[in-house]
This record gives sequence, structure tokens and C-alpha cells, in this order.
Amino acid sequence: MIEVDGLTKRFGDAIAVDGLSFTVRPGQVTGFLGPNGAGKSTTMRMIIGLDRPTSGTALVDGLPYRRHTAPLRVAGVMLEGRALHRGRTARAHLLGLARTHGIPAGRVDEVLTEAGIADVADRRAGGFSLGMGQRLGVAAALLGDPAVVILDEPVNGLDPDGVLWIRTMLKELAARGRTVLVSSHLMSEMAVTADHLLVVSRGRLLADTTVDELIERSGAGRCLVRSPDADRLHEALAAGGATVTRPEPDVLEVSVLSGPEIGATAAAHGFVLHELTPRRASLEQAYMELMAA
Amino acid sequence: MRVTFARVSRAEWGKLTALRSTWVVFAAAALITVGLAGAINWNVYRQPGAEVSEPLLLAQSFLGIDVISLVLGVFGILLITGEYSSGLIRATFAAVPRRAPVLWAKALVLAAVAVPVMLAVCAASLAVAEFFVPDGQRIPLGDLPVGALLGAAAAPVSLALIGVGFGAMLRHTAAAITVYVLAMLVLPALIQPALPESVADDVLRYVPVAAAQAMYSVDTGNPFEMLTPGTAALVMTGWVAAALVGGTAVVLRRDP
Repeated sequence: MIEVDGLTKRFGDAIAVDGLSFTVRPGQVTGFLGPNGAGKSTTMRMIIGLDRPTSGTALVDGLPYRRHTAPLRVAGVMLEGRALHRGRTARAHLLGLARTHGIPAGRVDEVLTEAGIADVADRRAGGFSLGMGQRLGVAAALLGDPAVVILDEPVNGLDPDGVLWIRTMLKELAARGRTVLVSSHLMSEMAVTADHLLVVSRGRLLADTTVDELIERSGAGRCLVRSPDADRLHEALAAGGATVTRPEPDVLEVSVLSGPEIGATAAAHGFVLHELTPRRASLEQAYMELMAA
Repeated sequence: MRVTFARVSRAEWGKLTALRSTWVVFAAAALITVGLAGAINWNVYRQPGAEVSEPLLLAQSFLGIDVISLVLGVFGILLITGEYSSGLIRATFAAVPRRAPVLWAKALVLAAVAVPVMLAVCAASLAVAEFFVPDGQRIPLGDLPVGALLGAAAAPVSLALIGVGFGAMLRHTAAAITVYVLAMLVLPALIQPALPESVADDVLRYVPVAAAQAMYSVDTGNPFEMLTPGTAALVMTGWVAAALVGGTAVVLRRDP
């Protein structure tokens, strides 16, 4: 569990994180969304004690991260960008972290295998591709079999195999009762991976909700209407306050008005409908709308 | 399972010894020191009638120490700044969020590797030097002062540890090396002309480079009076402690 309360970080005059409060619960994947510079990485760094908050607190499993006696058991982290020396092998890198906690070398082999980089374990990390570097970063985060896993943009640079691996792993971790906080700017990825969402912009929390609720709440949903009376229906719907576009002569795309309202309008005028299909907004549309608001 | 200083030291030992560059630097330091000792003593003693004395032999054998002290100083700096520039420091501090033990473990481990290596290098330098001393005039190795040997080994190690402190205080490789060279070499050179003659020498004796040399020097009748080896060792310990305390303060205070 991660509990963040009134977390604020200023860099001189600039405010990177502005009074964030939220709780990340175990047993689900929580997506951390927001544009570049929204303060996601700074928040993650404050949670694990790398950045000192200007004010506010961040607790990991009930204590500030620094106060834990075995921090890698409590939280595993992969931040954006590489965090390894190019001259060391993947194995030496992980051993250097594992030994601080007395984690056995066997666990290093386990996470190397889990991350799919066991065959390159004894190669210098300097020669790793972006994707292999990401996998090594995730392996390091899993080293202590932590209760909380925090990953900053984990699918960056991964091939489709790697993306699927991350997705499956995150869901498995959540299913095993771990707390999972993962940031991404890939909405399609978040839509299939995350259960819960935290949306931030300019350091402030815009939404703390489920994926379904965020989409539901947004007015970005629209209906596809196919009708031989498209011209007159268009006029009637527009008069009723709907926003209508017309991708084909007999097809209308209607927003603002809901499916039942469109059906009622058509019935009232005696128009024939061949199709009335509600189109659920994508997470991306809902997100863009939230950002625009 | 918990973080202890012994475990952090074990981790840092593994990190240091897993890098090829560590062994390249120590091999280079050994070659330079022993090579210079050989070259200088060969050159001195090929002239017939060259004076053989304990102070001269030591001075001729340990001339390379000055050179490699700077090399090891930069190595100490890189031990810290390398972690910052590669981003590794974030993973390291995530594992050891109290941070200070990481710095101390790095210093300890560097000393643990460098002390035996430098002892061997200094002993080898003396042995090579003796090889060129004309027959019949050799001073048995056992008769040479052990203190000078220990001091010669300790001098570069302590300058390397000061480098660790500078690395932690400045965090950027180029900045740390620049400030280190300024503080160690340029500043002492400015003291002489900048201070009144009566105090300049008194101050100069205590700067790290002079104190480091004093640890392994034997009185050669030079008008510039160095500290005695014992005092010099204490002064160097003070400098190392000051650099590491300064480094610790910065590491604890600033976000990596």
C-alpha cells in the first residue's frame, strides 16, 4: 500500500508536484497517467525517498520508505532512464543490489530468468538494447520480491513480446496481492492493464477512479446512426442540441445526445432507423477530454 | 533480510572488483611506480661512484608515488561520480535509502583494495631499485625503514579517499576533477607567493599533497622542513575525514 498525503515538490519557483493525495491499494494495477512534466516521475521518486518533498508525506507499507530496514523487500522500483554502469554485467549489477540485503545469488538467477535475460546475464550492460535494459530494470525491481512494485514507463522500448510480458507480469503481481503502480503515456496499454487510474496534470490530481468509471463519466461517447432519412434526422438532432458529423451520406455520428434520446427523436418524427449503435469512448478519448477540461 | 553496513560493503566490494577499469587503473599505477623506480635508479647508479644512502634510495624509489597519487585521486572521484552519471546512484540509493553507508562502504572498499596493492607496489619498487645499486653497497631491504614503506603505500590511498569525498561533494566528473586538481595542486602553489614568508611554509606543510609526501620522506637536508611521518599521517587522516564528512553531508542533503 502506498499512502500519499499533501505531497508537494518545488524546484525553485517551479512547482512539480502540487499537494497530491492518493492511496494505491494492493491487489490491483494502478495506472499513473498524465502528460510529460505532470510530476509522475517526481512523485515516484519522492515515494522511494530519492527526492525530499517540500511538504507532505509518502508512506510505503505504513512507513516512510527510508525508515524500512529492508527497503527492497518493501518496494521494487524502476525509474525512467537507465540506472546501471555500462561496464558491469547484468548479473554483477543485480548482485550489487542483492548483496546490500543479503538476498541470495539464486534469487538473482530467478529474476534474470523471469525477465527473459538469463542468456545475456554475463554480458556487459553497456551493450544492451533499450528493451534489454528495460528488462534488466524490471528484474532489479523484482529482486526483493517486494510488496509494492513501482514502474515508470516500463513498456518504453519494448517489442510486442516485451509489452505482453509486462502486461501479464503486472496482472500476476496484482493477483498475488502486490501493490502495483505503473506510469505510462500509452493509453491503449493502460486500458488493458490497469484496474485503477490516477490522472495528474501540472502536479495536481485530476482523477482517482477506475478505467470504466473514467470512460463512463466522460461525455466522449457517441452513437452511430444509419438512416435513409439522414438529412432530416440530422436537422432534428441538431435542433435537439446534438453534435452531429456525417462520415457517409446515410450515416450520422452523434454525440451529446444519448442512444435512447436519439431513438426517441427519430420515433417522434417517424424517421426510419437501420442502425443505432452506441460507441463507447476509448480511454484515450476520455483522457484527452479530461485534459482539455 | 535487512540492510547492514557489512552487507553494503560486501555489495560495494563486488561492484568495484567486477569492473575491468579497476584492475586497469591498479595495473597502470603499479607499472608506473615500479617502472619509474627502475628507470631512475638505473640512470643514477650506472654512473660509477654515485652516492648510495637510505634517504636518496627511498626518494628515487618512490618518485612515482606522486604521479599515481593523482591517478588514484581521480579513480576515487570516478567511484562516486560514475554512479551519478550512469544513473546507477538511483538504484543504489533505492536499495540503501540511508545513503551514507554507501559512501563509507565505497571508501572502505577502495582502501581495502588499494592498501595491499600499494604495499606490494612500493615493496616491488624498492626491490627493483636495489637491483641497480652497485654490488657491495646494497642496503638490505630489511634495514630500510618500514614506516617509509607504509607511508608510501598510504599516501596515494589517502589521496584517493579525498577524491571519494570530492566526488560525493560535487557529483559531476568534470567538476570534481577540476576542483580536486585546483585544491590539491594549484592552491598550494599559490600559497607560497600569496602568504607572508614567515607563515607560508608553516601552512604549506599541512596541505594534503605535502602531508602525503611527508608520510614517506626521510630527511634529506632540504631547507623546506616537512612534517614528521607520524604527524603527517595524522594530518592526512584529518583531511580524509574532512572530505568524507563533507561528502556525506552533501549526499544526505541533495536529491540524487
